[in-house]
Amino acid sequence: MMEATAPALILRTSPIRALALLAALALSGCSSVPRLPTVVYIAVTANSDQHLDTELREDYRQRLWLLVEGFQQIYPRTTFQMGIYPEEQLFSAMARRSRAGLEPDLLFINGDTALRLLRAGLVDPFPADPALLRLFEPAVLARLRTADGRLAGLPILVQAQLSCYDRRTVQQPPRDLTELLSISASGQAVGLTVDPFNLLWTAGSLGALPALEGALQGRALSLADHQALVRWLAWLQNAGGQQRVTFFASQPETDAQFIAGRLSWIPCRSTALPMLRRRLGARLGVAPLPDGQDGRASAVNRLRVMALGRHSSRAGRERALSFSRFAVNPLTQRTLTTGSQTVLPANRFVSVPVQSSQLLQTLEIANQQGLQTDAMAGLLHGHETRLRSLQNLFTQVVFGETTPRAARDHLLRILAKNR
Amino acid sequence: MKELVLEILGWLGYLERPAVVLQIVLSLGLLLLSRLARRRRSFGNLPILIYTPVGLSLLALVCLLLTSAGQPAGLALLLGQLWLGWYGLSLLHRLLSRQLPAAALHQLETRLLRPGYLVLSALVLISYLDSLHDVAVIPLGQLLGVSVSVARIFNALLVTYLVLVGCGPPAAALAWVLQRLLGMGDGSRKATELMLRYAVVGLGLAGVAVHLGLNATALVAVAGGLSVGLGFGIKEVFSNFISGLWLLFEGSVRPGEVLMIDGDPCEVRRLGLRATLLWRDRDNAELLIPNQTFFTAAATTYTASDRMRRSQVSVGAAYHHDPATVIALLEATALQVPRVLRNPAPNALLLSYGDFAINYALRFWITNPMDNVGICSEVNQAIWLAFKQQNIEIPFPQQVEYSMVWPPETHQSNPGGGH
Repeated sequence: MMEATAPALILRTSPIRALALLAALALSGCSSVPRLPTVVYIAVTANSDQHLDTELREDYRQRLWLLVEGFQQIYPRTTFQMGIYPEEQLFSAMARRSRAGLEPDLLFINGDTALRLLRAGLVDPFPADPALLRLFEPAVLARLRTADGRLAGLPILVQAQLSCYDRRTVQQPPRDLTELLSISASGQAVGLTVDPFNLLWTAGSLGALPALEGALQGRALSLADHQALVRWLAWLQNAGGQQRVTFFASQPETDAQFIAGRLSWIPCRSTALPMLRRRLGARLGVAPLPDGQDGRASAVNRLRVMALGRHSSRAGRERALSFSRFAVNPLTQRTLTTGSQTVLPANRFVSVPVQSSQLLQTLEIANQQGLQTDAMAGLLHGHETRLRSLQNLFTQVVFGETTPRAARDHLLRILAKNR
Repeated sequence: MKELVLEILGWLGYLERPAVVLQIVLSLGLLLLSRLARRRRSFGNLPILIYTPVGLSLLALVCLLLTSAGQPAGLALLLGQLWLGWYGLSLLHRLLSRQLPAAALHQLETRLLRPGYLVLSALVLISYLDSLHDVAVIPLGQLLGVSVSVARIFNALLVTYLVLVGCGPPAAALAWVLQRLLGMGDGSRKATELMLRYAVVGLGLAGVAVHLGLNATALVAVAGGLSVGLGFGIKEVFSNFISGLWLLFEGSVRPGEVLMIDGDPCEVRRLGLRATLLWRDRDNAELLIPNQTFFTAAATTYTASDRMRRSQVSVGAAYHHDPATVIALLEATALQVPRVLRNPAPNALLLSYGDFAINYALRFWITNPMDNVGICSEVNQAIWLAFKQQNIEIPFPQQVEYSMVWPPETHQSNPGGGH
């Protein structure tokens, strides 16, 4: 007669005996029973100008995989589970999950969002390890700290704002705003968006950025600041009046028109490049945003950080911290930058190989352009209701529903709110 | 699919967190205790409905204690809310049982309320464990060359289910309105309702196919496959379906029609996709007959052009009564039975001269073929009474008995005559 196997034996015994047997097996530390791997839960936000679909999910997974693959060589018994949240829903979702003790171990989110979550008590402050923090620009870290000095997250990478163009119709990308309007005058369709974060780059090119910062800080504006704001808004209105310049309500809509071949030039996010490249192939051209006579384009780049969720298990927290440290390791940062060709390293000691890739060179220029909006990024956050008011205002401006002067006054009132 | 399974299995990692396990154990423990107490009637004579509120109150107390101890209690609270919702459904059952027939309530609960609540609960639970948006865009594979995600499949199944289950009441309402507007009969109304349901189901399925993004080529391929399948395995199913549709359009077998099945009048109750349900008055049996039977075999109906049936009873009267008197009496008697139609008028006939009686037939018209047996009984009773009042004899068979003698030549009739 065949000998009964252990599961069959358990099934034949009474439930209490079976439980006792399983408990005995567990307590005996049976070496043949495999240990379960540690799961690290990561929440990632899709920016408000991104449409969360299967393709975007795959992009995010591939980007995460660049990090995970290396990490699992060191910690093979670790698996990662990623959940992507629309940025505007992250706060409520984390509040709900935190109350239940089900918050992810790590949050890979924008710096300002991490700061907001920390202030709300929805993430734990990142442990201040001086050796680790030396890897970043002090100004960058300062933007991630609360008034009492707690750090909201560890900087990982920078997502840049660029311009994308169709090589079939635009031979040379516009270097300044005058050239941008010239290519539209020559019959090429230009797409812009009234979404504030994707339109603010024009403020830098037209010299209105200091005025905007001043308004956000509550500083009294000079006559030159007022004039700069009017000049900026007048340029937007003028652009809106151009036959071949179209303003769209959102970035995904602009991207879709560009993919369909109805637009020749648009501002775009570096994170959208893989998707655009898949659609357009060699037709896709990438360049820095056009500067202006009055200044450089004020690209709104996004600093992505790793924040620590609350209620992690001890093993989960250890892995989360190890993973964060691994992500800012110079070798990992370089792999991340060169492997994805869509992001820049946050580690200041990692040099971007601009000579080896024109795209990385463009990203680096965009990064430099974006430095001037760092101060503003700390004053105007992605979740604010002021952004909706600003979008309404920009829509009125480009449709000629208001004069640049009236729009300036309205703009200053909006920026003065919630200060 | 593998990705979805891994995602779901990944949620088990939260069991690594003591706070999560504590909440689950407390919630499920109280739920089980409450059920156990209810089964054993632990509170004596208290009503059975009290056990759940007591369990829920204890769970609320536990949540309060956990919160005051600085522990997360959101999951326990959520489980409590789901428990409360389920309890609410049982209260709703009691409320609705006063308003709705038992069968309708059972259908409403099993097909809509309970499945809906369970799906909603699952979605809420997932929103605590993961990003619903993210889970929704998990790819499940290819269907007829189209990539399908969790959300697409979920929506497709949901719409299909709702269309199949929920299109009944709206179709019935619309058919009722059409009946009022066009003056249709009840049979036509039911047929219209059924056709509307088929139309809605057809449109719903087409909408689902469009939602899934199935292209025409793929659908043609499916149709090709189906045609092969129709030739072999599902020929009968398809034949019954088409027969059902044809009969509906033809109007010969609609709900409410009366057909003769094996000599018994049967009323059509429902014309289904495969079979027709008929009700036989004689023994209250319900007959399920494949649609194609009516399509291919001859059938007798009493309701094709009108619902009237000509019925007949037979009676014998003694030879010494004047046939004209008997005929007049029979016709007058039939008119006294309430459910016999005055017009067309009843008609009595002398059928034949029998052995011991003159045989008469009384023919009359009734409005409902299903009432034939009952009305015949009433008419027969009325005839008996009328004959009694008029001293008309209903003779019974009479036989002449005589004794045989041998040899036959010596045989003589019995004394006293031959009656």
